[in-house]
Amino acid sequence: MYEYAWLILVLPLLGFLIAGLLGRYFPKHVGWVGVVTIGAAFVVALFLLVQVLQAGAIGGHVPPETVRGIKWVEGFEFNLLVDNLSVFMLTLVSLLSTLIALYSIGYMKDEEGKPRYFAEICLFVAGMLGTVSADNFLQLLIFWEIMGLCSYLLIGFWYHKPEAASAAKKAFLVTRVGDVLFLFGVIAIWNIFGTVEFKGIQEGLAANWASIDPRMLTLIPLLLFGGAVGKSAQFPLHVWLPDAMEGPTPVSALIHAATMVKAGVYLVARSFIFLVPTHEVAGNLEVIDGAVPWNAILVIAIIGGFTAFFAATMALASYDIKRVLAFSTISQLAYMFLGLGAGAWLLASHGVEETVGYSASLFHLTNHAFFKALLFLAAGSVIHAVHTNDMREMGGLRKYMPVTAWTMLIGSLALAGIPPFSGFWSKDQILAVTFEMGAEQTLFYALYALGILTAFMTAFYTFRLWFMTFAGTFRGHHEDRVHESPGVMTGPLAVRAVFAVVSGLFLFIVPGTWSNLIFYGEAAAESPLKTFLHFPENALAGLSIAVAAGGVGLAYLVYYRQRIPAAVFTRSPAGAGVHRILSNRYYMDNAYNGFASVAVMAFSRAVDWVDRRVIDGAVNAVGRGTLALAGASDWFDRKVIDGAVNAFSLSTVRTSLSLRRRQTGRVQNYAAVVVLGLSVVILVVLIVRIVLPALGVLP
Amino acid sequence: MIPFEWELILSALLFVIGVYGVLVRRNAIVVLMSVEIMFNAPILNLVAFSSYVGDPAGQMFALVAIALAAGEAAVGLAIFLVLYNAHGTVDLSRVRLLRW
Repeated sequence: MYEYAWLILVLPLLGFLIAGLLGRYFPKHVGWVGVVTIGAAFVVALFLLVQVLQAGAIGGHVPPETVRGIKWVEGFEFNLLVDNLSVFMLTLVSLLSTLIALYSIGYMKDEEGKPRYFAEICLFVAGMLGTVSADNFLQLLIFWEIMGLCSYLLIGFWYHKPEAASAAKKAFLVTRVGDVLFLFGVIAIWNIFGTVEFKGIQEGLAANWASIDPRMLTLIPLLLFGGAVGKSAQFPLHVWLPDAMEGPTPVSALIHAATMVKAGVYLVARSFIFLVPTHEVAGNLEVIDGAVPWNAILVIAIIGGFTAFFAATMALASYDIKRVLAFSTISQLAYMFLGLGAGAWLLASHGVEETVGYSASLFHLTNHAFFKALLFLAAGSVIHAVHTNDMREMGGLRKYMPVTAWTMLIGSLALAGIPPFSGFWSKDQILAVTFEMGAEQTLFYALYALGILTAFMTAFYTFRLWFMTFAGTFRGHHEDRVHESPGVMTGPLAVRAVFAVVSGLFLFIVPGTWSNLIFYGEAAAESPLKTFLHFPENALAGLSIAVAAGGVGLAYLVYYRQRIPAAVFTRSPAGAGVHRILSNRYYMDNAYNGFASVAVMAFSRAVDWVDRRVIDGAVNAVGRGTLALAGASDWFDRKVIDGAVNAFSLSTVRTSLSLRRRQTGRVQNYAAVVVLGLSVVILVVLIVRIVLPALGVLP
Repeated sequence: MIPFEWELILSALLFVIGVYGVLVRRNAIVVLMSVEIMFNAPILNLVAFSSYVGDPAGQMFALVAIALAAGEAAVGLAIFLVLYNAHGTVDLSRVRLLRW
């Protein structure tokens, strides 16, 4: 029924092949290959979404459908999973990718190596679409690694720049830590369940949970979460994302804000089959209380809450326009993990109908994908115009690039959490669920406090960025060259700005949109908005609006009206110290570098020493031993064997040399010898016969 | 009558003188003469033992031997003649064709 869904994966792959193999013959127009193939994938995905919606995805339950693919080995097939979540992600990702590919045509107009760029973009899109449509963890991991590869390639697009090359390496190596944990998780799943398919795992868990070691039930979701921590740049593996901004801005927008970093959130959403295991009791789905890994859920929520706060503080002290957005991405992703953690706790403790935390996270994922990609593309437009990333060399750009300025303002309002822009609805819901869960596990109150503080800082740094860039007077050079970007760049900006406003309003337009994304179905059909409508949530919503407005106001006073000089914060020794720590990113990069340069290099040196001394030494010793043995053998051969032969022949020669002198040729000499010999014979006869008998010796 | 021992001693002297001549003299003719002297020693012995034993057969045999010695001398002289024709000398110290 859904077999045509394979087209969604095949089309970008086709684009990858065409752009990669044939792109060099038409480098000026290669971008359109990417736009057309990814756009076609979007159209197919949209068609699939409509079909799934018609099958009753809203307000009801669409049974997950597996599209059979290629059998790889016994027990493992490449299959597509068509359910609410995967179809939703397919549509979202292909839409964002199409818009960014379109934007790239303008942004990369004057670049060398465009075929390479668009080929890698197409391969990335294929990887991301494969990740979100895999029906098992192994296939997910394979496409996940393809994404990682493309991320590495695209961060290092300007590979002749040393910063870009090392940022690419850093991104690859740091995410690798998470990927290895993910791989361990997949192996553990295979060992325990004998399958890696989501459905098979769910059934296996429901049937055999009592016989599985409870420590494994906690460990597996944590290992999967380890993969998500790496991919989504959460603490402590967050260090690669700010550096990844060395890549082209559309790459930052697509991979490092809108899609790839969301794959971690998607993975945790998929691992809800472990976090909230269910089984059927009398026709109803119920949570298996004994199999819920409460500690794993708590770890996910704590990492989320802490990273949200931690990354936001670093954004306060950064002057690089893209790095501020990168820290903000880490912080917003952390909100999603906090929401998933709190949502899992809610589901596990209140039953499968309470999907509000889960759906709020996916809601935030969508909103963030739109407004953060918008912010990045607007930032790219600014960088394109002023040729610097440093906000201290911008200012007053509102006059020159009004479209960029106003669309970025919409994105900033969405990020800051000002209603009715999209970021507010989802972030506030996440915070509300976190607060409610505080009643069950006091730790969630602390996480809520961190979340509210983060909301304040988010509003502040977002508007610090906007005011520093667009308000005031221009502080850079070449003011005359600053210009608005071309239509292919401002067009996607405008489209995204519209989405950044309306994606939040989906909540009101289509009731239950997000709650139905829970992939085991049976969710509450009504809008999760119902939680907004009674008292504590109203108060909480008011509080978060207040802190967001406070943040915006503070930024307005400091960076627009300049009533409060920015130096106020860094004047006191304590403030200066905090600023130094923040602008050095808590010294974690230094620590990791130190670890790499001290521990890894020491290890490498030790290995090198072993290699040179022990391995090479052994090989050389064998060589030398053989040489010595051969020498001895040679000596024996020459001296003993040859010596004996030579000595024999030499002595023969010498003997004959001395003997031949006896051949004088003089006949008288021979006669003398005859006489001498005869005399001796006679003498002997005389002695034996006469003298000796006479002396009595012989008879 | 001459004692039997003296005859033997004379015979031995003749032989030794002959040997000395063969070994020492360089002229081939002289060597051949010395050989003839050595030849006479056993002939004298034959005669001595014949008279000592009283058997005349020994003296007859001595006559035969003298006749043979004449033949031997003829052969020897013929050899030396050929030697002289080939080398232009009969000095034995110069004829060293068998030298190493």
